[in-house]
Amino acid sequence: MELKEKLKILSDSAKYDASCSSSGSYRKNNGIGNAAPAGICHSFSSDGRCISLLKILLTNCCIFDCKYCINRKTNNIKRAIFTSEEICNLTINFYKRNYIEGLFLSSGIIKNPDYTMELLIETITLLRNKYHFSGYIHAKAIPGANNNLVKKLGLLVDRLSANIELPTEESIKLLAPNKNSNKVENIMNLIKNSKSRKFVPAGQSTQMIIGASKESDYEIISKSEYMYNKYNLKRVFYSAYISVNKDKYLPTLELPPLKRENRLYQADWLLRFYGFKTNDLLDQNNPNFNILLDPKANWALKHMEEFPKEITTCTYNDLLKIPGIGLKSAKRIITSRNKFKINFNDLKNMGIVLKRAKYFITCNGKYFIDSSLLKKQFIETNLILEDKEKINKSITQLSLFNE
Amino acid sequence: MNNIYIYNTFINLLNLIELLINNKIKPYNIKDESYYRNLFDNIINLEQNNNIDIIPIIIKKIGIKNFNIIYKVFLSNENNKELIIYYFYLNYLKYKEKVLYMKNLKCVNKALKISKHVGNEAHKLKGFVRFKELKNNVLYAEIEPTNNILEIISLHFKKRMPNEYWCICDNKRNIISIYNKEKIIFIPKDKFNFLTNELSNNENNIENLWTTFYKTIGIETRKNDRCRMNFMPKKYWKYIIEMKEEL
Ligand code: SF4
Repeated sequence: MELKEKLKILSDSAKYDASCSSSGSYRKNNGIGNAAPAGICHSFSSDGRCISLLKILLTNCCIFDCKYCINRKTNNIKRAIFTSEEICNLTINFYKRNYIEGLFLSSGIIKNPDYTMELLIETITLLRNKYHFSGYIHAKAIPGANNNLVKKLGLLVDRLSANIELPTEESIKLLAPNKNSNKVENIMNLIKNSKSRKFVPAGQSTQMIIGASKESDYEIISKSEYMYNKYNLKRVFYSAYISVNKDKYLPTLELPPLKRENRLYQADWLLRFYGFKTNDLLDQNNPNFNILLDPKANWALKHMEEFPKEITTCTYNDLLKIPGIGLKSAKRIITSRNKFKINFNDLKNMGIVLKRAKYFITCNGKYFIDSSLLKKQFIETNLILEDKEKINKSITQLSLFNE
Repeated sequence: MNNIYIYNTFINLLNLIELLINNKIKPYNIKDESYYRNLFDNIINLEQNNNIDIIPIIIKKIGIKNFNIIYKVFLSNENNKELIIYYFYLNYLKYKEKVLYMKNLKCVNKALKISKHVGNEAHKLKGFVRFKELKNNVLYAEIEPTNNILEIISLHFKKRMPNEYWCICDNKRNIISIYNKEKIIFIPKDKFNFLTNELSNNENNIENLWTTFYKTIGIETRKNDRCRMNFMPKKYWKYIIEMKEEL
């Protein structure tokens, strides 16, 4: 098979993996390449997603039969396998021309997990040692492979990940009958407990498919929270399910649930950086996010008793609770008000957008808008309107940036 | 008469501004040598001081972070960037760090905005630059950035590809940066003529592979042109090989 044909097949079957970020690593350059601490996007695909890595499978042959996956055993599709040299040559040639930041190598399971892992290790060893590639490498660990192989691979790459794919054991049984979460979590545990600084320096991530199984947002976010706490994950990626197969256990969706995906990313941010807990945002009775409104605004409207916050005196954590105030804005407000007395004009000069925040703050005791307007209903309507305008623009931005 | 002070290099500009401030002189404007004289202009050519020691002197006064702001403003395309630097520096000396939050001061506001803009463009270009391999193994790229960010990205590629020969040509400013596995030099484009060198035999093949990858990786059901355009503005497409077809 011609290389071009192979590349087509093996990038096509890799494209559903959401993660493409390449930041947060540092590697000494012994030949060609370095991993920049701040991620660089080299291109943007037609769906607006950042391309920074050559994202390919080593092979799309697979002995497993996960229902949602295009590469499952029972699908009648063209199969291909790269040789190690082919992958190295592509990576080096693309990297030299500055098409990419590095390699993202995953694989279907060929023969058995150990054999597949050995192929991955062989390829990446060649790339590091013979081709002297010091750029970024993200590899997928194959669940069920021997621990020693996982450790070996971990020493060669910047990021290692194992996809949990589905939030509950029940769905895994149903949709990925050859898998179980123990195997995936075993890998996460191994990565977490490694002491060496050379081992997976950019940390680990995982991915969940959204909308292929029946779990609520509450169950999904709870799972994320659990994994963040237990395994120190750098990221959980959420990937809106795209109907590639027909199966009685799968929903048939015309379009992937992108809005839902977006809400999950927003909530994920709130967990990681804003001090929110899953239970602040959702519960058994309200198990799904409001599609019309971002999770923070939604939370704020339900907790009007917490507002308004006085910008000049409230704590950093309080600032973070205000809709429309992000991490940067909160920090900026804190540093500025330590230096001088701030007023509404200063906020604007600092580049802080009050569009959303204005309903929830006072500055030196004064409201920014006529306080008689501050009725919950009125605020909600306006926030929803504003959200609508914003969402088309930011839908992919949120999911792929801001590592 | 309007006093216009003339400088030739960045170092010279810094020396000049330092001199003006120390002598409490407020210039009407500061311009580089290519400035075309107006009727009421009084052109002042001071002795051109190119002492590089000015850099540590300024850094000591305002810190490396603020020095970088000045440097980036200098690289920008802004018409009155020299005056903006002058007033930014002057105000910093007066108000110290607080000045960064006094965005109602026009020069400060502008300096911060421009430096951010320049930084953003440099960061984008670190990704968008596309090298082609020539027959003599040199990697060659062309750019036409809005701001003069050639120096910033060249330093980036020096770290990234220390063992390759490469050069980057800014077609808008006709400057070329050349890296010889040791150091980078910047020279006018017309002083350099290996650009007639042919592409390596493999080049078309590799470009073809990359374009194939690019087309395959986009997910049809998620197509979003607006989003793509936001991140990768059309003005850069000319040299981004995978975008040529869509141009
Ligand atoms: S293991 Fe499952 S998800 Fe992975 S390639 Fe095979 S069928 Fe697809």
